[in-house]
Amino acid sequence: MSRKNRKRIQSAFDLQLTSMMDVLVIILVFLLKSYAASTNAFNTVSGIQLPISASPEVPPDSLQVIVTPEGITFENERIIEFVQTEAAVGSKDATYTFRRSDLDEGGRRVVGLFDALTKAREKSEFLRAKSKARDKEGKPLPFDGVLAIQADKRINYDTIRRIMYTAATAGYKMFRFLAVKRDM
Amino acid sequence: MFKRPSARRKGKNREIVLNLVPILDAMVTLIAFLLFTMAFVALVSTESPFPQTSREDVQQKLKERPLQLTVSLREKETRIWSPFEKIKTHVVPNTTASTGENVPDYKSIHETLIEIKKQFPNENKIVLVPFAAAPYEILIGIMDAMRVLEQTDPPLFRKNPATGNDEPMKALFPDVVFGNLLGDG
Repeated sequence: MSRKNRKRIQSAFDLQLTSMMDVLVIILVFLLKSYAASTNAFNTVSGIQLPISASPEVPPDSLQVIVTPEGITFENERIIEFVQTEAAVGSKDATYTFRRSDLDEGGRRVVGLFDALTKAREKSEFLRAKSKARDKEGKPLPFDGVLAIQADKRINYDTIRRIMYTAATAGYKMFRFLAVKRDM
Repeated sequence: MFKRPSARRKGKNREIVLNLVPILDAMVTLIAFLLFTMAFVALVSTESPFPQTSREDVQQKLKERPLQLTVSLREKETRIWSPFEKIKTHVVPNTTASTGENVPDYKSIHETLIEIKKQFPNENKIVLVPFAAAPYEILIGIMDAMRVLEQTDPPLFRKNPATGNDEPMKALFPDVVFGNLLGDG
């Protein structure tokens, strides 16, 4: 190959990366800026319709219950399956009910959820006992008892109330109701 | 005869081509990582404790007769009242949303609560009593109306006992407690 031809081929492969670098830097800066605002790691389930809230509080990480018209999910595990009523077919409203065997204490407590929450609390207490972190008196840090509730906007208060009562009997005393942040 | 130009000077003028390929690799990896781990839905929360009362608390309340501001959600209206009759009972009828649904009139409820807050600037607690079929969306909406002070709201001030200065309030009634968790309603 002549020297002239070799030069031409070499210059053809000289890729201009500077403009590509510019674009990537802009994307990176944008992502890093957005990343700082999303500190929590709450999972969600497909199809859930969350309500919109004007609350300015960003929820810190905690255990969470996801409630949809199909059932209750706790820490990525489906615990309760609701029974769909006849009215639910083709309806945009959520029409569901608990199985009778899923409830006790006069219909107030959800048995499967109570078991899962109790297990999670015991695990948390065990980990805290093993941890080196101690309070002023040298005792393990107490269980914080916070439960985040992420519910579909169609879920009714009666269901939320049952979940709160069940959680309270399992040792959870503070609830965080999650919603999508309203655009300002 | 001219002298031959120095080779050293020639070398100095040679273009330095920065190898951007490893930097690009790192950037692509970083972008992929950020895209994979970031949350695209910004979540916010509203906190509420499980109400705990003892016989002593009830006795104390009966003695002190506090405001105990209560918002009762009904299917067609919202009642704002005090069990110890510290305020006049307000009844706010529901309104029709743009979607055609019958929803509480959040704006009127919020305005009524602002007027009550002006009378009781040190009160932070509010009791919410929804009806059993109230959807979660309405619960969140009513809690926002009870707690959040919007930028368009008139400024509310409270005297700081430590400094004696008037300080702007950041929230309306931030401590929401559900009043009928054990049933009835």
